[in-house]
Amino acid sequence: MRENLVERLLQHARTVPDKDAVVFVRMHGAEPMPERVTYAELDRDARAIAEWLRGRCSAGDRALLLYPNGLDFVRAFVGCLYAGVIAIPAPVPDNNGRRGSRTSAIADNAQVRLVLTDSGHLESVTEAVQQSGLEDVPCVATDATDFGDGANGTVLSPDDDTVAFLQYTSGSTSDPKGVIVPHRSLTANLRFIADSFGLDHEDTVSCSWLPLYHDMGLIGMLLTPLLIGGTAVLMAPGDFLRRPHAWLRLFQDHRGTFTAAPNFAYDMCVRRVSQQQLAQLDLSTLQAAVNGAEPVIAATVDRFNKYFAPAGLRPDAVKPSYGMAEATLLVTGTPHGRGQLITRVDGAELEQNRFVAQSEDGDGPLMVSSGPVDRLDVRIVDPATRASQPDGRIGEVWLRGESLAIGYWNNEAETERAFNAGTSDGEQGFLRTGDLGVLSGGELYITGRSKDVIIIHGRNLYPHDIERETSQLHSALHGLQGSACVVPVGQEEEIVVMHELSPVESSGLDLADLARGIREELAATFRVRLPSVVLLRPGHVRRTTSGKVQRALMRELFMTGGLKSVHEELSAEVSRRYRAGDADGATAAPGDAA
Amino acid sequence: MATSAPAPGTRIVDREEIRSKLLSLVASYLEQPVTDIQSDVKLVEYGLDSIFALTLCGDVEDEYGIEVKSTLAWDHPTVDAITDHLYDTLTAEA
Repeated sequence: MRENLVERLLQHARTVPDKDAVVFVRMHGAEPMPERVTYAELDRDARAIAEWLRGRCSAGDRALLLYPNGLDFVRAFVGCLYAGVIAIPAPVPDNNGRRGSRTSAIADNAQVRLVLTDSGHLESVTEAVQQSGLEDVPCVATDATDFGDGANGTVLSPDDDTVAFLQYTSGSTSDPKGVIVPHRSLTANLRFIADSFGLDHEDTVSCSWLPLYHDMGLIGMLLTPLLIGGTAVLMAPGDFLRRPHAWLRLFQDHRGTFTAAPNFAYDMCVRRVSQQQLAQLDLSTLQAAVNGAEPVIAATVDRFNKYFAPAGLRPDAVKPSYGMAEATLLVTGTPHGRGQLITRVDGAELEQNRFVAQSEDGDGPLMVSSGPVDRLDVRIVDPATRASQPDGRIGEVWLRGESLAIGYWNNEAETERAFNAGTSDGEQGFLRTGDLGVLSGGELYITGRSKDVIIIHGRNLYPHDIERETSQLHSALHGLQGSACVVPVGQEEEIVVMHELSPVESSGLDLADLARGIREELAATFRVRLPSVVLLRPGHVRRTTSGKVQRALMRELFMTGGLKSVHEELSAEVSRRYRAGDADGATAAPGDAA
Repeated sequence: MATSAPAPGTRIVDREEIRSKLLSLVASYLEQPVTDIQSDVKLVEYGLDSIFALTLCGDVEDEYGIEVKSTLAWDHPTVDAITDHLYDTLTAEA
């Protein structure tokens, strides 16, 4: 018998009413100020919100939740669960407009009935919602609303097929995709997470700075401890970035056992936690530190383990894992009681899509296992022929199982394409991840990511959004095609934007100036390191016959020097790596002046 | 009053000290010698991104005991501009 999250929350409110369900640690400068909500309080507050919601929406209606990390989000989210209203957690729109258009695209796609936020953001949220042509959708600050006494509010008891929430993490701004998570998938995935990392007991304490609108933050860090009756200790992402050390302090202040973060966060801790801070840290309670949401780098795992060993970090605590919103969250994880599995492979074989282990003293790349295949059916499939591949052959990762999400909201075509794929030998009903991987010895290694997403420090950026933004920056770029990608530079990746340039509109322009302007605008809009910019003649961004930009081909051409560019303005690192010998980074292609 | 002596315990705010502190912070993030960083060059030229920007916020807050907006490095895009902003904030407080 497996109870869902709502049933479990009701039980905890009865059996451990005074236990902290969630602690939000607000930072005042360097000073942590914890705010708490117990299981009984959370139950009471959520009942009151649910009762209020029932007066305004029907079960199955959608409510957009635009909150920074904090207890108000948690109350509103559980309130929606209690009312059977489908919550859609999303980032608060910021003032540079990009998230505003994303917010309105989500609100439109999901046909939301209501927007919930806090009083600190009510004004900006209301403005963003009204600007997007949704004047009829009310915006409500839940921390400034009197919901009355919740003790008598009823709770809708969901069944397996009741949709718990929608997770809009994938898809570009113009084409947002809301992953549908029913209670069946949620319960199964939460159990899967708890079992994989050995968390099935009530002293589980997660400590996290991940945004709660992100699948790993919401499901992994908040809902997992709530299901098993543990405690979620949360802070704001910005406070982690300001002081990485503040995250690690949570483990000793709250006896944290569980966390998750993208690879860059582990790197950042090694770089920015001082020896003095290290000497004060105690990480001995930490049982599972999931490394996921972006590629796991072997050197990072190694550095983190060595650097924090003196603070009591267990050598098997870091858990390289693989997951995604379409899978609800977890696909595979390095399980409890086992250390990381890192394998050196033959680089030349890897280029031929073969995964061949090499001896320790070889010079091939180190690949990090995301863990053994456990509850899901996993197939490695040749994306062109749809033929299942044997162990050791690289292909697209396909999944099937109870813990996966079931589709995209209000998007049948994409749901059919991504969630109902069939192999050439007649197996049906697979989720296509778009990621490349390989099975070896029962372990899943991810070797390449979906070409349609750029991950920078755990944030998903979409080439389409960058290209569209670029084309709007200057009349010489309007209406022309761009192609954005990332290229490896050392251990990191940098963005390269290739874009066609109108010879007429650009005549007489200083192209170096233009390219520098593009770089600065893109850096400011997307808050990324100055991207490299390559300007091309019209028609030089390759497309398929159906007009789809061939981003993988363009990337390849850039990396191998196969583009006839009009002008390039590259970062020093990209220039060193891909245009050896050109120290200042800017080149006018010889013999190809406009 | 411009001529009044600072109250006991008040930090004496020195524009050049702020500038040199900021330069050394930026140099430390970039792992470059401080002599390679110029105070009038935009930080995006040195690879400013959202993480670099927030790192700077945290270090500035710890150094000067004030709270700064997370958009600090975007609103004030060079070391010189941040220096002026911090100088104004700190002298207004003093």
